[in-house]
Amino acid sequence: MLFFDTWLKLRNAGILGLNARNREYIMRHNPRHRYPLVDDKLTTKRLAIEAGIAVPQLYATFETEHDLQKLGERLAPYSEFVIKPAHGSGGSGVLVIDGRRKDLVVKPDGRGLTLDEVEFHVSNILSGIYSLGGVRDDAMVEYRVRVDPVFDPVSYQGVPDIRLLVYRGVPTMAMVRLPTRQSDGKANLHQGAVGVGIEIATGLTVHGVWQNRTITEHPDFGVSLSNIEIPNWPRLLELGARCYELTGLGYLGVDIVIDRTHGPLLLELNARPGLAIQIANRRGLRGRLEAIDRLEDIPATALARCELARELFRVH
Amino acid sequence: MRFSAVFVLAFICAATGLTVAWLKVDRLSVPLDPTAEATVWDVEARVAFEGRGQPAKVTLTLPDTPPGFALLDEDFVSRSFGLAIRAADAGRPRQAVWTVRRASGAQALYYHMKVYPKREEVAPDPGPAPTFPEVPEYAEPLRSAIEAVLARTRAQSADINTFTGLLVADINKSDDENVKLIRKSATEETWAKMLTEVLAGARIPSRIVYGLPLEQDFVDTPLTAWLEVHDGERWHGFDPQTGRNGYPQNFLVWSYDDPRITASKGVRAVEVGFSANKTPMTQLSVANRVESKLDTGLMALSLNDLPVRTQNVYRVLLMVPLGAFVIVLMRGVIGVPTFGTFMPVLVALAFRETKLVAGIALFLIVVSAGLAIRVALTQLRLLLMPRLASVLVIVIGLMLGVSLLSAKLGIEQGLSIALFPMVILTMTIERMSIVWEERGPATAIKEFIGSLFVAVCGYFAMTEPRLVYLMSTFPELLLVVLAMCLCFGAYTGYRLSEILRFRDLAKR
Repeated sequence: MLFFDTWLKLRNAGILGLNARNREYIMRHNPRHRYPLVDDKLTTKRLAIEAGIAVPQLYATFETEHDLQKLGERLAPYSEFVIKPAHGSGGSGVLVIDGRRKDLVVKPDGRGLTLDEVEFHVSNILSGIYSLGGVRDDAMVEYRVRVDPVFDPVSYQGVPDIRLLVYRGVPTMAMVRLPTRQSDGKANLHQGAVGVGIEIATGLTVHGVWQNRTITEHPDFGVSLSNIEIPNWPRLLELGARCYELTGLGYLGVDIVIDRTHGPLLLELNARPGLAIQIANRRGLRGRLEAIDRLEDIPATALARCELARELFRVH
Repeated sequence: MRFSAVFVLAFICAATGLTVAWLKVDRLSVPLDPTAEATVWDVEARVAFEGRGQPAKVTLTLPDTPPGFALLDEDFVSRSFGLAIRAADAGRPRQAVWTVRRASGAQALYYHMKVYPKREEVAPDPGPAPTFPEVPEYAEPLRSAIEAVLARTRAQSADINTFTGLLVADINKSDDENVKLIRKSATEETWAKMLTEVLAGARIPSRIVYGLPLEQDFVDTPLTAWLEVHDGERWHGFDPQTGRNGYPQNFLVWSYDDPRITASKGVRAVEVGFSANKTPMTQLSVANRVESKLDTGLMALSLNDLPVRTQNVYRVLLMVPLGAFVIVLMRGVIGVPTFGTFMPVLVALAFRETKLVAGIALFLIVVSAGLAIRVALTQLRLLLMPRLASVLVIVIGLMLGVSLLSAKLGIEQGLSIALFPMVILTMTIERMSIVWEERGPATAIKEFIGSLFVAVCGYFAMTEPRLVYLMSTFPELLLVVLAMCLCFGAYTGYRLSEILRFRDLAKR
């Protein structure tokens, strides 16, 4: 049985499946009442600011249809910004504006939008189109991140972000998600972005995953995906580790962007991080999660936990 | 710890459900197959006598709880006689006592019973183990003959059963002089009695059972005598004519030891004859009769006590858990993507009413038409709730349109579209259009096909006649479904789809 053979190989490689992730990690370490802290990006942002964790600056929020009347006025000071739903997931409902042309605001692909169109987009966000379960939502406008140039050769428009899996406060596995032509500039693996594994100990990229298959070259540019050095790696790791205290969630996905001037910024948190990170790293999560569980105690400070992670997950 | 708690709970649920179901099957003979036909025997004892014009009393021994049979019904034809039934007491069997002030001329009284043979082989009455009999005082030369035969048989046999078998066969067949002597000492009526006396010579406890082998219909037949021997553990039956171990098929035991099953006063020429004929009956009605006779309370958890309309509702509702379980399997073990969690069950329920092919066709028509209109609505930039409500209105309009059209064309199946849960259709259209926009048509169609596939599987699970019968007859099986759901709630293995997804990682 080929299927069963693959099953055994996957189990021996310590690949975590969805059922096991849900039951053994998420249900055990993520108390339900803390989900709202990460499901609402505005709450996450507020918490992060209080804890002194760097986030993209918040320009404006829209909570009611009434607020929309002042949309033009409130966006006037900014020519570059991002509009996103506070409860969105997977990058849906995100509108990136990176300039203005006469009365229009301009998307990265050069298409101009009237303010009415922007207003309709925000109105859609408010009505809950992009939120889980279709409940009404808030829209937030924030600083448009200017990506560190290190990613320029490997990303198609958009903003690559780094997904850090933090287990009980210890950074456990990492990957960077690179937008592609297919993903329409979105850093969402489901929509066709590339995921590239990053070594926790060094901050160097290893292999890629695209459409659930391992790859070594970028599907659009053909350049190698390995050995890219993520800038500010230690700071980024620490930022991720601190999100544990922020939320109290033991199995946490931390999404971080690297701004060319502000360095690593916390973008959002995820209480149900996906499993593709394993394919990007060509490594099962189970071994690492169990290594952390075997520890007698886990250091209290984020910095010490990052040290620990670099030590534990050194790849020879 | 959490792991084992789930399984303990699941085990308790499953064990409870299965035990109740098993008790119903075992005690009440509730069939597992709805079409099972049972053979029920109408057995009649006819007591004929001649009155002498004076007060009369006629007693008939009645079987009480014949081993291997369920007594479904009994009645008496007493004519002008008074009837009293004496329950079994201190070794005296159950009896019917008919009395009358003055009986004259030829009379006949009847006892009539309906029995259902529960097993092919008769399990003998357990009863207390008998004591070893004393060796009888045989008269010579019978004594030497018996002793010689016993000694010879003892040498050839291993235990009580083989001994009895050999002995009885020997006495019936052998040309040996001793045996001939023994044979001559008994008549046809006393044959079995003689055998028990010979066995007593070897100090083997034995008795005679009188009963009726229910194989074929018969009329006016006497009871058949059968030999039973106790081996220290239980009684074993032997054919007194051949020595073969066992009982006749469907042997209805009427009385033990005593060949006289009637007693009378004030009448003469008493004769008892038995008749039997078989009648087919559905197994389920047999079970209901057994329950009404035994009153075990096992059938309390059965739909039969509800009004018929409610029964039909529950017949459907009891199948929903199976549909849900199909979803559990499809999502958790196979990893089929679906819209929403229970949408496929509800669609499958609708398929139940519309029948599969027509159901799928109608579902496809409404969803694709709804989707097209939903895409058109996107251009209008409607807010969420009004948009959902609009889609709902359109869905109902479409359903009405399909019904009217099929009424015109005389396609009866088209009318059943009204049974589709329209809110579910609306949500399916909405979800599908969002997935379509966000993740592209490929994902949307994949999830739609996944949902439809799960709905079809659910439909087959929920309409399988055998499962419908089992769930409505044994509602306690809900506990078994619950146990299975609990078990899969603790399943942390891979989904089959993940094996595909992670296959690159297995290559190293």
